[in-house]
Amino acid sequence: MSEGFTQPSAFRRGGWLLLALPLWVFLYAVNHAASEWLAFRLLGLTPKSHLGEAVAFLLYDTPKVLLLLTLVVFIVTFIQTFVNPTRVRDALSRRRPGLGNALASLFGIVTPFCSCSAVPLFIGFLRAGVPLGVTFSFLVAAPMINEVALGMLFAMFGWKIAAIYAGTGLAIAFTSGLIIGQLKMERYLEGWVQDALKGPAMGELEEATPTLPARLDLAVQGVQEIVGKVWPYILAGIAVGAFIHGYVPESFMASLLGKSHWYSVPLAVLIGVPLYSNAAGVMPIVEALLGKGAALGSTLAFMMAVIGLSLPETIILSKVMRPRLIATFVSVVSIGILLVGYLFNAIL
Amino acid sequence: MLIEVFGPGCLKCQTMEKHAKEAVEKSGGSHEVVKISDYAAMVSRGVLSTPALAVEGQLKFQGRVASTDEILELIKA
Repeated sequence: MSEGFTQPSAFRRGGWLLLALPLWVFLYAVNHAASEWLAFRLLGLTPKSHLGEAVAFLLYDTPKVLLLLTLVVFIVTFIQTFVNPTRVRDALSRRRPGLGNALASLFGIVTPFCSCSAVPLFIGFLRAGVPLGVTFSFLVAAPMINEVALGMLFAMFGWKIAAIYAGTGLAIAFTSGLIIGQLKMERYLEGWVQDALKGPAMGELEEATPTLPARLDLAVQGVQEIVGKVWPYILAGIAVGAFIHGYVPESFMASLLGKSHWYSVPLAVLIGVPLYSNAAGVMPIVEALLGKGAALGSTLAFMMAVIGLSLPETIILSKVMRPRLIATFVSVVSIGILLVGYLFNAIL
Repeated sequence: MLIEVFGPGCLKCQTMEKHAKEAVEKSGGSHEVVKISDYAAMVSRGVLSTPALAVEGQLKFQGRVASTDEILELIKA
């Protein structure tokens, strides 16, 4: 059904999209030269000085991250218009543990998900017969393997780091769900949830399928919405990144988050959890950390803690789960993140 | 027409409700906008992702904010 979508605006936007691509390529190509010119010629800062390097990082990274984010969000939102939570739910319904957990983790990456949807999605899955452990695999994968973060990692650091991030995130989601499923924790759901699971269905609502112009429209809206909302986090992330880049000595970072100390991974997680940022905002920090000799495992653990274990989401989920289930959920995921950190510090 | 807006009360859901009311005003007709923020009610209607909007019992948008014009289009149809 397409009546629900406004066609003319989509076609107008089609013209804009064709113009936007060459403009994007041009801006991205001249960004490096432009930032150096601004920092060292126009502002007259000395290359290799602390301030000079910090300012150059700031001027280079801000347009770069914003440009990459725009492209990544556009592509990701477009892909997401093909993934419908209702169909995902039906595909996961009554799956056996194992295969169900694997599918749920994969779906978790691509399904559009916001933390305020966590509750209806959680109960909706359980009601449709998706096992608790499989539902948890989904709930862990959805925020942890953030699709925007994945795209940004690919664009900024190459496919290997992106693949390591996705692979380890999937492994954590798969295993956590499997463990929680084995623990048989259904009785630690809040009472009203258990009632809602038994209640009769009131006739499910039918959903419309968007047309191609509508999908492109949605992708443009996604860019406006996400880039419009996260740019303060990105600026904050870039400011932190610029400070690290210009002022923090390499030896200090290597001693703190390097691979030779046992405490570097838990430290990275401890710093990461209370930092409420989002996938895009944390990228410039990751960039600066890696540049200054922080180990990949520690950095990965830091990033996963920031994105995957967020306080707001835990608070929302506490409406449906008793403390014991919440605690199990948070500890299983934290242990997974720690293991990933240690593993990659050890093998790379 | 009965227009139902589903959402627990986050910013996106409030925006959706505002757009629905604006659309009703623009259409000039007498349509009813109902906000459903109870999780149990949402779940029993099959809403998995919020904000969501249903017109006459049919789910039209799920997991995103629809614009005033999009909702107006639905009311007119």
